[in-house]
Amino acid sequence: MELLERLVEAVEDGKDEEAFALAQGAMAVKMDPLEVVDALTKGIREVGDRFERMEVFLPEMMLAARAMQKALEPIAPYLERQSEGREKKGTVVIGTVEGDVHEIGKHIVALLLEVNGFSVYDLGSDVNALDFIKRAQEVKADIIGASALMTTTMPGQQEIIEILRDMGLRERFHVIVGGTPVTQDWAEEIGADSWAENAATAVAILEEAMIEGRGYAGTTL
Amino acid sequence: MPAPPYKMWEILERARTGPFCEDEPFIMERFMPSLKVVIEKYGIEYDAAAPIPGDDDLADALWQAAVEFFLEVGVLCVDTHRIITFDEREVKEALYLTPGEYMVGSGKDARCLKRRQVEDANPPFVIFSPDISCDEELFSPMCIAYLKEPLADGFCAPILEESMGLRIKAKTPTELAGSIEHAMSLRQAAKLVGRPGIFLVAAGTAESDVGQISISHSDWGVRTTDSRLVGGLTELKIDNALLNKAAHYQQFGCFTGSLTGPIYGGYAGRAEGTAILQVAYHLMGLLVHQAHYQMNFPFHIHYTSGTTRELLWVASASHQAVARNSKLISVSNGFLNAGPATEMVLYEAAAHALASTVSGANLWEAAPARNKHKNRATPMEARMAAEVGHACARMNLSREEANELVLKLLAKYEDRIADAPLGSEFQECYDVAKAAPTQEYLDLYARVRDDLAGKGFEFPY
Ligand code: B12
Repeated sequence: MELLERLVEAVEDGKDEEAFALAQGAMAVKMDPLEVVDALTKGIREVGDRFERMEVFLPEMMLAARAMQKALEPIAPYLERQSEGREKKGTVVIGTVEGDVHEIGKHIVALLLEVNGFSVYDLGSDVNALDFIKRAQEVKADIIGASALMTTTMPGQQEIIEILRDMGLRERFHVIVGGTPVTQDWAEEIGADSWAENAATAVAILEEAMIEGRGYAGTTL
Repeated sequence: MPAPPYKMWEILERARTGPFCEDEPFIMERFMPSLKVVIEKYGIEYDAAAPIPGDDDLADALWQAAVEFFLEVGVLCVDTHRIITFDEREVKEALYLTPGEYMVGSGKDARCLKRRQVEDANPPFVIFSPDISCDEELFSPMCIAYLKEPLADGFCAPILEESMGLRIKAKTPTELAGSIEHAMSLRQAAKLVGRPGIFLVAAGTAESDVGQISISHSDWGVRTTDSRLVGGLTELKIDNALLNKAAHYQQFGCFTGSLTGPIYGGYAGRAEGTAILQVAYHLMGLLVHQAHYQMNFPFHIHYTSGTTRELLWVASASHQAVARNSKLISVSNGFLNAGPATEMVLYEAAAHALASTVSGANLWEAAPARNKHKNRATPMEARMAAEVGHACARMNLSREEANELVLKLLAKYEDRIADAPLGSEFQECYDVAKAAPTQEYLDLYARVRDDLAGKGFEFPY
């Protein structure tokens, strides 16, 4: 038990090498990998909550997320062996739309999704609508997240949805939109599946959506 | 008087040939650890009791830390994945070549934009700017309202979201149309008001490089006596489109302002890191953007404002560092939590102007309502900042005196930051046709101004 606590602490403190070593140790003494992952997930979520409360800042959250990834490395092989029955989180492709270089908000959303167990592909900023879709197909994503910080780039979000429709792929992805000028009304107008005002809400909405099962996780292809 | 661009092509070439690095390692392995090192090495420490610190050693240590940090980290071009790096001699050379003042604008409206000193008795150069987008039909009235402000030395107009009724989409012909409409209407407003040569920073509607390039025109567009902005990416990154803007501004011959807003709570962490980064951004602006002035708006990650106690410290400390150690011209941009026609917004504007002016900065005022609500800005918030800026320069305030005053101002609004009132939109507190404030807003303004006078501000008139 001691070991697990130290491991969680190393992740929360963003000490990646220590986290890696402790996770190795945990596997060596045959701890239940699922239990370890659960504890780590709780720990990293706590970091996310502290960020929302402004007790820690982005650097701490990024280091914790990285330590989490490091800790998962030695655990992953054991997990795969007994992964049946595990809660399945989705795969997200996220980016800032074409013409828009504002990326910090999108990055925070990506990070918080990641610390909450989603696999996240961050395409960066100034991303063409079709590139979102191509990448989403490539990585078999469940969710496409599009950020727009300017009213003049919001049409880029609409384009993603229109192209998805025209490609006959609309039902395959959950499309979530966000960014300062983006509202629930806009999301409805363009036919997005959801909108979130901030990163914490985005996580909650997408967790819910994954349970309802839109996207690759829910469709049989 | 304007200096030639500093080794522009040599430096831009480094965006192609510099060391390879991807985005994430640049931040995680280069930016964040280097910042931590210099914060500790130079013992930089935020002091909540002194949002306007009076310590020269702190300012000088901040400068040293920022130079070292900038040399260590460089600037990443995210399109080429190459780092533009500099050596110390180059930084010194560029600083040496900085003239410290420029004549901007033209004819009778020309003004001298110059660097200020800490506790300078010369008033700040004040650029009035709503910093928000507006309805197409409000564009001209808003421009006229701002241009009528007596203390405006320069002006930057609101941003259009539509042009000829069409929604503007970035990087498309609608953006070109909107940018031209912006530039022409702005020029027309300046002429109508009787300030045809006033220094204009334009055009915010031109978000892309092509948009900017399409409006360089010495007759109807942006002139060489005017200015435009070029931003950076969060943090210490740029891309080809930004470099296109920077290069075009030099070749066209107008004044370049480097627009940077380091994020408190973001990659830079707390106040100490944000302040160091703000100073480092001055070097990026000088060397990469070849900018003539540095326009900065450090802001809070959750509130998008610059008037919390920590952010006032960041603005004050970083401007002192720059003013004491270089001839760079700083322009401090106020980001306020509350919206127009509220008491709170006027106290915030006053606090931002005070902290900036006494620390050696010029002013760019102001972005009310957290810089994100359409039509929610008026010249009155900027007027308050300008009046306070002039007052505190003329009074020749020391930083200690300024700190006492800023604490009184903070006491007026600090506890309301999290749920600051949104206030009114322009057309709700202005007579649009006359481009003049309503009596109600004038009365509110007078009450706050009287209160400030009671607290010790001596307004020149
Ligand atoms: C920082 C900033 C910049 C930085 C950006 C650095 C970077 N690479 O990220 C710089 C200086 C480069 C910049 C440049 C410009 N900017 Co700017 N900028 C801002 C500012 C002040 C803050 C944005 C920010 O980072 N906020 C902090 C983060 C944490 O919040 P956030 O982004 O809102 O994200 C949260 C939520 O929105 C949500 N969210 C975000 N994305 C997503 C995605 C999904 C899927 C979901 C679910 C949720 C979600 O969750 C996030 C976390 O909780 C805004 C004003 C504002 N109040 O937003 C203007 C603003 C966006 N900029 C604006 C403008 C005009 C520009 C420029 C054109 C200026 C110029 N003249 O050059 C250029 C544009 C260049 C371009 N082509 O994109 C305008 C846009 C106006 C419009 N047309 O609508 C704004 C609104 C300011 C204003 N009121 O005028 N800017």
